[in-house]
Amino acid sequence: MSIQIQNISKSFGTFTALEKINIDIQTGELVALLGPSGSGKTSLLRIIAGLEAANQGSILFGDEDMTHIHTKERKVGFVFQHYALFRHMTVFDNIAYGLKVRPRKIRPSKQEIKDKVYELLKLVKLEAYADRYPSNLSGGQRQRVALARALAVEPKVLLLDEPFGALDAKVRKDLRRWLRKLHDDYQITSIFVTHDQEEALDVADRIVVMNEGKIEQIGTPEEVYENPNSPFVYHFLGNVNLFKGRLHNGKLHHGNFQVDAPPEFAKSMNTDAVGYVRPYDISIEREQSLDSVAAKISYIHLVGAVVQLELIRNDNGDFLEAELTKEHYRSLNLKTGEEVYVKPKQLKVFIPEDFSI
Amino acid sequence: MAGHVSLQYSTSPQQNQTRIQDSEPRWVRWFLIAIALAFISLFLLLPLAAIFIKAFEKGIAVFVNAISDPDALAAIKLTAVIAIITVPLNAIFGVTAAWVVTKFQFKGKSLLITIIDLPFAISPVIAGLVFVLLFSAHGLFGQWLLEHNIKIIFAVPGIVLATLLVTLPFVARELIPLMQTQGTTDEEASMTLGASGWKTFWLVTLPNIKWGLLYGIILSTARAIGEFGAVSVVSGHIRGLTNTMPLHIEILYNEYQFSAAFAVASLMSLFAIFTLIIKNVIEWKAKGAS
Repeated sequence: MSIQIQNISKSFGTFTALEKINIDIQTGELVALLGPSGSGKTSLLRIIAGLEAANQGSILFGDEDMTHIHTKERKVGFVFQHYALFRHMTVFDNIAYGLKVRPRKIRPSKQEIKDKVYELLKLVKLEAYADRYPSNLSGGQRQRVALARALAVEPKVLLLDEPFGALDAKVRKDLRRWLRKLHDDYQITSIFVTHDQEEALDVADRIVVMNEGKIEQIGTPEEVYENPNSPFVYHFLGNVNLFKGRLHNGKLHHGNFQVDAPPEFAKSMNTDAVGYVRPYDISIEREQSLDSVAAKISYIHLVGAVVQLELIRNDNGDFLEAELTKEHYRSLNLKTGEEVYVKPKQLKVFIPEDFSI
Repeated sequence: MAGHVSLQYSTSPQQNQTRIQDSEPRWVRWFLIAIALAFISLFLLLPLAAIFIKAFEKGIAVFVNAISDPDALAAIKLTAVIAIITVPLNAIFGVTAAWVVTKFQFKGKSLLITIIDLPFAISPVIAGLVFVLLFSAHGLFGQWLLEHNIKIIFAVPGIVLATLLVTLPFVARELIPLMQTQGTTDEEASMTLGASGWKTFWLVTLPNIKWGLLYGIILSTARAIGEFGAVSVVSGHIRGLTNTMPLHIEILYNEYQFSAAFAVASLMSLFAIFTLIIKNVIEWKAKGAS
């Protein structure tokens, strides 16, 4: 089932939670709504589910206008951040709930319900836990029960609100891989909300980056990561180094330092601009050149496959981060406190006019 | 659910801590305990014992006579009727009010909560007087009621109304904080799974609040049975007709039938003790459930 979000606006009193949101989601897609807290992503998810009403705009499932359809008729599976399992029911009864509450005419028989529940219990690998109560389960197990409960009603759309937010790192990683696989097997159109960029990049087909009630960028994980269209997206998806300076004749200047700006800025004259460089796009040199700045190594992290360096620029005291391969690091023979030259290999330039840092 | 669990875990180490850091000298502890015990004995246990001693002072026969007297039986029956009418009404009102206050956002919500609390704040005598002002022969609706031959004041409906007013907050006050901490996500989950509002209430909300509801019902039953002030104003003290147990006790006492008065009083005290036991069982069960 495809989902169309058309011109959705929502405000709570004077606070604008969402402003003219438009997203088209294809059948079978797994989309992440990514943004900091307060960006409106959860409000949008709740509007799609019908748990909240938009002030403006419409929601379509396929060709069907769902804007004024009650939650219980929308056939969405919703997984809540804190699971919202019914604590007075066993795992079995929790999963069976959606089938048991159907009107008699369309309610499956007891045996059918039982079969369906056990099928789902098998899917979430909790067959042995059917008679347990939620309070006797771990966080990851509760989340899986919540997912099984949502899937029991065979929803056309699966909505997940920070599904792994309350779990510890290891379980979180396992569970999101498992969710990806489940999605690939079932091909159910899914939207999940997260503030964790790693999670979104890891799992989603497409990412919708949101900030202050607006969409910053929509694209595949590669697109939003490699080609952020705004400083916000750049900041939000991974670490970044800033090189403030002046754009002139296609180059970004700061003191004696000058570096080539991307070709679209060739005509900019004497404008303030900021260059954005990912830590792995920085190279560390022993020799000074025009397009490098002097900096002092303040810290070296050696854990993991890459070596992370923390540096402080000599000219303005700005903090820089760089990532090197272990081999490169060894060949340079770097030490804490040493002075080196930092050279941006690739940078993206934004002219600060409608944003502040 | 998760909140409750963490709450339990967080309180237990604290208890251990206080035990370890408990460095007060032993005599201070014993002294404080002794003061508390003496106070309780003097003001609670002694009067309670006195009631039973007085009740049986003139022998079992007088006791049995006192509580099997037709007027006494009528008073017991009326008290039971009042409780049976008012408590379910209060339970329904309490659940509705708590539901409205906690699950919806609307203007005037804090005003509603304040109004629910009003009967706690005003004297029961005033609560009774309000109904006299409204429904007595000289009251606001008195003329109309006379014409239609409806009796409220000095009759059972008046007692029911006064009792309802006085016991109004018990269930709602018990449920509002409980439902506020539980939030609305369980109900939302139920809705997304296709359940109607009615089914959601019976299958999700009610089981979540059942212990709080029972607790509120117990408290409001105890009050409905024991209420004196408001009922005294509206009842008219007609023997065998509009006398509840507390009013009956007062009449007996004023007629110097002390043993009989205490006999009926002992019956009420027994009920009160019974209520306390049930209340404790419920608290204990509720703790186990969460």
